[in-house]
Amino acid sequence: MTKINSQAELEEYRKNLRSKTDPNKRWVSLCSGSACNASSSAEVATAIENELEKHGLSGSVGFKRTGCHGFCEKGPIVDIHPEKICYFNVAATDVPEIISETIKENRLIDRLLYTDPATGEKIAHESDIPFYKHQGRIVFSSNSKVDPKNIDDYLAVGGYSALAKALCEMKPQQVIDTVKEAGLRGRGGAGFPTGRKWEFARNNPGDTKYVIVNADEGDPGAYMDRSLLEGNPHAVLEGLLIGAYAIGAHQGYIYVRQEYPLAVENVNIAIKQAEEAGFIGKNILGSGFGFTVEVAQGAGAFVCGEETALLRSLEGKPGEPKARPPFPAESGLWGMPTNINNVETWVNVPMIINNGANFFAAIGTDGSKGTKIFSLVGKVNNTGLVEVPMGITLKDIIYKVGGGVPKGKKFKAVQTGGPSGGCIPTEHLGRGVDFDELAKVGAIMGSGGMIVMDEDTCMVDMARYFLAFLTEESCGKCVPCREGIRQMLKILTNITQGKGKMSDIDRLERLAKTTASASLCALGKTAPSPVLSTLRYFRHEYEEHIKKHHCRAGVCKKLVKSPCQNACPAGVDVPRYVRAIGAGKFGEAVAVIREKIPFPAVCGYVCVHYCESKCRRGELEEAIAIRELKRFAADHDDGSWKQNFKATPATGKKVAIVGSGPAGLTAAYYAAKLGHDTTVFEALPKTGGMMRVGIPSYRLPDEILDREIKDIEDIGVKIKTNSPVESLDELFAQGFNAIFVGVGAHRGTSMGMEGETTPGIVDGIDLLREVNLGKEVKVGGKVLVVGGGNVAIDAARTARRLGASEVTIVYRRTRSEMPASEEEIEEALEEGIEIVYLATPTKAKKMDGKVKVKFIRMELGDVDTSGRRTPVPIEDSEFVKEYDLVVKAIGQESLVPDKFGLVVERGGRIKVDSDTLATPRDGVFAGGDVVIGPASVIEAIALGREAAIAMDKYLGGEGKIDEVLAPPEGEPAAFNLEEAEGEKHRPLVDMLPIDERVKGYAQVVLGWDIERAKMETLRCLRCDLEKH
Amino acid sequence: MDGNDKIDLIIDKYDGKPGSVIQALLEIQREHRWLPREVLLKVSEKLDVPMSRIQHIVTFYKAFSLAPKGRHEVHVCMGTACHVRGGARVLDAVENKTGIKPGQTDAELKFSLKTVNCLGCCALGPVMEIDGKTHGKMAPAKAEEVLKNYE
Repeated sequence: MTKINSQAELEEYRKNLRSKTDPNKRWVSLCSGSACNASSSAEVATAIENELEKHGLSGSVGFKRTGCHGFCEKGPIVDIHPEKICYFNVAATDVPEIISETIKENRLIDRLLYTDPATGEKIAHESDIPFYKHQGRIVFSSNSKVDPKNIDDYLAVGGYSALAKALCEMKPQQVIDTVKEAGLRGRGGAGFPTGRKWEFARNNPGDTKYVIVNADEGDPGAYMDRSLLEGNPHAVLEGLLIGAYAIGAHQGYIYVRQEYPLAVENVNIAIKQAEEAGFIGKNILGSGFGFTVEVAQGAGAFVCGEETALLRSLEGKPGEPKARPPFPAESGLWGMPTNINNVETWVNVPMIINNGANFFAAIGTDGSKGTKIFSLVGKVNNTGLVEVPMGITLKDIIYKVGGGVPKGKKFKAVQTGGPSGGCIPTEHLGRGVDFDELAKVGAIMGSGGMIVMDEDTCMVDMARYFLAFLTEESCGKCVPCREGIRQMLKILTNITQGKGKMSDIDRLERLAKTTASASLCALGKTAPSPVLSTLRYFRHEYEEHIKKHHCRAGVCKKLVKSPCQNACPAGVDVPRYVRAIGAGKFGEAVAVIREKIPFPAVCGYVCVHYCESKCRRGELEEAIAIRELKRFAADHDDGSWKQNFKATPATGKKVAIVGSGPAGLTAAYYAAKLGHDTTVFEALPKTGGMMRVGIPSYRLPDEILDREIKDIEDIGVKIKTNSPVESLDELFAQGFNAIFVGVGAHRGTSMGMEGETTPGIVDGIDLLREVNLGKEVKVGGKVLVVGGGNVAIDAARTARRLGASEVTIVYRRTRSEMPASEEEIEEALEEGIEIVYLATPTKAKKMDGKVKVKFIRMELGDVDTSGRRTPVPIEDSEFVKEYDLVVKAIGQESLVPDKFGLVVERGGRIKVDSDTLATPRDGVFAGGDVVIGPASVIEAIALGREAAIAMDKYLGGEGKIDEVLAPPEGEPAAFNLEEAEGEKHRPLVDMLPIDERVKGYAQVVLGWDIERAKMETLRCLRCDLEKH
Repeated sequence: MDGNDKIDLIIDKYDGKPGSVIQALLEIQREHRWLPREVLLKVSEKLDVPMSRIQHIVTFYKAFSLAPKGRHEVHVCMGTACHVRGGARVLDAVENKTGIKPGQTDAELKFSLKTVNCLGCCALGPVMEIDGKTHGKMAPAKAEEVLKNYE
């Protein structure tokens, strides 16, 4: 590298370089950032070099090992230029094909291309890939073109031209003014206006001034600075040089974390090359300005990212922050005026000088100009580094760039700002990201860490995690930080272990206030932020941990025996009954299940199995078929649980249950067990609520339901059918001491469609009820069902059995958003039902004996506050079809008689106390769909249990409904590793042949034999036996 | 040239520069993998830094180890992204397999275990680093498999 002595020489050199490069020449870039290195990109590099050599292409095809491309999830990344074809997850073994197929024959290799997760489409070019398409790269763009170890690459893309412009064409004050006008604010987190900070340092008296690059990027989960320093170190140097010139500093330091060895290596190489070229040293480019720079490493202290602590560390002392004022601009390193800026801030400078202040100021928002690089990590599909203009919404970053949350899980919150920041829930995803907007909702943008969290993340645990981190990293100098954080951590640890008290929340808030206001530096001042932010938006999780000892995400080890049991609303001990089935003890398995729910068979046939979605085996091949196993056990019950059933002596109190659905019957069962004289009042001629009149008998046979209801009657519960309750006063007058209202939600919600009351349009729930009560219902010809839940599917399948020749379900979103369970959708399709996605009816009219329906097609638009993409009508896409019958099944509401004297809210739901299920009316409790809206059998059962506990306490009892029905489990049999290992899927379930199914209401899913059931139990990983 | 001479050479490089005591200690740590007391005394003398400050420094900064290290240094990342993806369970598995807790070295001096805060490979989380080699997309069973390969 020859020394360049003037601006003219630099431009000459650059011209020469560029003339030697053919823009149409083929070249290959391989990302060699730390993450790709960790994925063995070095092996890929060797393979590429070897293959090019082998084919004699080493001269004609270029190869560069470049800095980080940003799409770290998909590394190693190989780009083919000039077309900008992107190959992902490239292994060394893929290389021969890349060279022979793509380089030589221009053929694409499909398996290495990006696949759109929604459409399955393959996308070859970078500019079409959503991850890159929705970004706005100006700072990070050079990374993929530049080999960080080669200064010529940086020069070829225009490097050091800004330095030349500043040194040779501008005065220092002009440089400062330009940066001020551009509106650049510090990218390290605090966001102080950079130009102004430079001006302070410039104007403060002092013989020696210093400029420092703060590369002590400590926020866990943030690695933008590392990628910039590793991938384009010259850009950092150039920015630093310009800043030094503006301020009048001749000595610079780059303070890098020692955990970044590649960054240290590359920046040292860059410095050496820059020195050789004359960009560092005396009389740079003939301007008379001289500058030297040294690299200093951090030694593993997060607090050294704080500028005053960093300065102490540079001076060879422990990194303890100092009070400000005086600020470093006045008295910094060795007491001299010092300017410290973050890596990303420095990298923005050359671009501002080259393109002018207006170019920069045109990007971003009023208060936050330019772009920001974020590390988008955690539970997000496209993990990596993204650069976007300030002001882009969180929603767009997470969904458009990030591709949303993987595995169909529900988004919960996004954490920004690291340990100083906060979490932002769905309701604020529409906020723009910049220095000021996020602060309004209790978070900060911070240095750029953006961690996406889903339903499996516990927010209390996250708060504890950050406090644990800060307890370790606090320098210890000041009491509020050192002690305050430690005490907050203790409280949070207690809460996550089920030892918390409600008063802890107040104590946390008070400690937070003190720590924040009295700490010396930003570490202590912002330490309470994660706690306060999680309390603000997820207080219910704290309360659940404290009051119910429940961690809904299934994370807090001391509160979770096994993920399945934890996910079950009623807490059924799944692993135990699975083991019992494996041991051939089916009666015992049922007894274990019955310890928590009085409907083992019903649940075995129709439960929505939340447990299976959290099953750890599901992280391997497939979740355990927990529900199918439950059904198997129930089908083979020997009734031995009855021997252990213990009823309490009569209390003399009377309990009335309104509604014989799962909530009512469960509440009745436990109320009777606790000794209360219990009567159930059912308005319909048959018992069971939705279990009877909602769920068709080909899913849940009548005999099965009857048997379990009889078991409830056998313990003393009286059931009166055809007995609607008009008012609760009547019941109290009859001598009942407590009342449970479980009247469900069985009025179909209106679609709000023109012509909805047209004859020929019926409600799905009404249709199902008529059929299930044995009434004669005539259905023929073409039937349309509107909706996507289980009711829609049940109505459609029932219509088929009633004789419809053609049944179509129309749903306004796509299959992956349909609330109906997978099995139901599959079985419906097998029965010849057509499902039309992304369409919705807008108008209906009766014409010539048929119902004419107009539809409009939909497309998925922006994500709404529930985290789902809102369907948006496509203009001029209407189409019309005719049907003999239209069935609405888009939701249900409750109808609670006014005379009950209860407070009723949206959807007709009864308002209750969330802990006791008590309504504001004395002695009246409620549960099931009438409280939570249309949900599931198991949730209704769980609420029935809660209500029984509360009612018993109300009536003077202790609310102890737990019973031991199964014999004590001895030492569990040794885990058979061989049986459990290896890829194994669920055994197939016997099904009624498809052509038999729609002939009647015979059971469709026939179940397993003993062999298959036992085989399935061997796949269970027995998470409940894990040591805590 | 034996270890001691190498250390002397390093210290000589920083002779007369008390401000670079941290950099000197870092280099020694990289070379020798831990800091025996005698070495600290030598650094204190040559660089003219009081022993009390050296003690403060080596106990303040986490990069320094005052006890001998095992043949293999196992670092489990506890950064936020890795944590959210189940890093804590990976740590449990590693603790089980090695028999030691973070900050400890086993009796045979085979493994030293440490938790680190963010190695910057968040896309590969959970991440475990052994002797500088990054192992990404870890899970409890996978971590145990990886450890089996180290003698």
